Amino acid sequence: MAYLSQYQYYENAGSAPEDKNWGSYQYVSLDDIVNNFLLMYSGNHSLVNNEERYKIRFHAKRAIQELNYDAFKEVKVLELEVGKNLRFVLPSDFVNWVRISMYKDGWLRPLSENIQTLSAKAYLQDNDCNILFDQDGNILSPENSLIDFQRIKKEKKSIYLNPGSRFDGQEGWAYGGTWYFEYRVGKRFGLNTETANFNPTFNVDKKAGVINFSSDMAEELCVLEYVSDGMEGGDDSLVGVNKMFEDFVYADIQYRLLTHRHGVQEYIVARAKKERRALLMNAKIRMSNMHPGRLLMNMRGMDKWIK
Amino acid sequence: MINSVRNTVLAVLNKNNYGYISPSDFNLYAKQAQMEVFEEYFSNYNKIINMENARISGTHYADLKKNAEENMEIFSVSKFLSHSSLNKYFLPSLITTGDESILLNKVLCYYTITTSGINDAVLANSLSCSTATFETDGVSAGDLVVNLDTEDTAHVVSVVSESELLLDADIFPSANTEFKVYDQGGVSEAEKVNHSRITSLLMSNLTSPTMAYPAYTQEQDFIKVFPAAINKPGQVFAQYFRYPYDPKWTYSTILGGSPVFDQSQSDYQDFEVPLQTEYRLVMKILQYCGVSIREEEVAQFAAAAEQKEEPTFSQKQ
Repeated sequence: MAYLSQYQYYENAGSAPEDKNWGSYQYVSLDDIVNNFLLMYSGNHSLVNNEERYKIRFHAKRAIQELNYDAFKEVKVLELEVGKNLRFVLPSDFVNWVRISMYKDGWLRPLSENIQTLSAKAYLQDNDCNILFDQDGNILSPENSLIDFQRIKKEKKSIYLNPGSRFDGQEGWAYGGTWYFEYRVGKRFGLNTETANFNPTFNVDKKAGVINFSSDMAEELCVLEYVSDGMEGGDDSLVGVNKMFEDFVYADIQYRLLTHRHGVQEYIVARAKKERRALLMNAKIRMSNMHPGRLLMNMRGMDKWIK
Repeated sequence: MINSVRNTVLAVLNKNNYGYISPSDFNLYAKQAQMEVFEEYFSNYNKIINMENARISGTHYADLKKNAEENMEIFSVSKFLSHSSLNKYFLPSLITTGDESILLNKVLCYYTITTSGINDAVLANSLSCSTATFETDGVSAGDLVVNLDTEDTAHVVSVVSESELLLDADIFPSANTEFKVYDQGGVSEAEKVNHSRITSLLMSNLTSPTMAYPAYTQEQDFIKVFPAAINKPGQVFAQYFRYPYDPKWTYSTILGGSPVFDQSQSDYQDFEVPLQTEYRLVMKILQYCGVSIREEEVAQFAAAAEQKEEPTFSQKQ
């Protein structure tokens, strides 16, 4: 792709949206990667020859996906209000979450994951616990299971944490910002540390594509930080990779093509693998942004007293 | 070159009074000889590439590949493919493009429509449409204009005004014709995919054909382009190698029993293969002549001479 003029960069040449090209110079597009690979790394005199373009495109996209999962430090952030059903539908390009927070009173409160089940599917049963079916043989299901119903209706207890309160560590119900407790008799054992948190908890139901929250998250703002695979909803024209990783992507495509090709000598595959690995390390080091300014900041922190 | 080849052939045949071949026979043999030479270009090219990879071919004056490419590219043609229906386009043929293709080398797809409309005035080498806004729409020199009725194409030379374009060809001889203007930058190369792969490719999430990465399959006399949204006349442009035209030695009068060469005849056609192949053409035609006049000696001589005097890489392998 041709270089942009300053006017195109800052103003998108007068077209909307104005910010279309801001920061675009950091990235090299998928089109450029595929085109450059075909031109520079494949051909009659190259190690890669007679490979279909769709294979090159596939490996380029796979490399970009893999980089998005961990090497890139590009976290997407989405803020949505959690409704009364205590559900947050995962974004369409969601692959994995990084952090889930509640935004309240101007503060971002990171939430803890509750790996205990917060949600379940249920089947309708008769008095003898037999499962009920419709005339087509399909199982009848209620809208919500009891565990979901109680969570949504705020009938489930959670632990109140507030060292300044005499109710600290007690189980209770959070309702409309007020906590209600049962009268406590005797001692309690077996504190569940996962749910022992002042803030709401959550559980990601990946199969259902939702995040389920504890009942105190109703009508609160949730900020989801997550990673995607960089495929931009299938629009290839938007897919790109940071220039720091450009050489790695070429090396990765070459390695994958060579390693899956019949008859390529093992030393050639090993060479490609070594090159790929070295370039990935280089790129990660570059992306970690270790420069004197940052080191200085850390060094200054050395003398700080940890209280 | 054709007259020189014919004179040489006749001279060899006359040497021992082996016989004479008529102009029509000569033309038939010339066609076959040229076809043999032409088809060897493609197999030889592959062998030359292998020689390069084996480091037994050099550069500069020893650059065999360059010479082979030049010989082949004499037959390279770039034309738009005629639209059949939906996303099908006819392969080059005498009817659609005026020539037969031996190899479809590159297929390009135009996919960004800058503007479209109906022309309402006829001007030579121009497109005129009073409702158009060519300047506002960003039409620029080099963009592709397609007459959707005739499927003729032209390129924009300059944007005269909002409603008029100057073209490099006169493709709008009448008014009320539908047209489309394609952005010269919105073009991508389609990849040939065989039939056993295309179904999987279309179902693939990561690699299904898109406007930027189109694909095509070939069957019968047409190609099918994917994605299926590429389905308008003038959207598919191809570079291919055509077969050489049939050589024809033409004459006007017969003088002393012999026809006199006349290249001003309308059906005259010289050999299209380069001059350096004259020797091989003579030898190949002599082989056919030897078979024709039942003179085994002539055929054997020509075959041996072709083998010995001008060995090619293909023959040595």
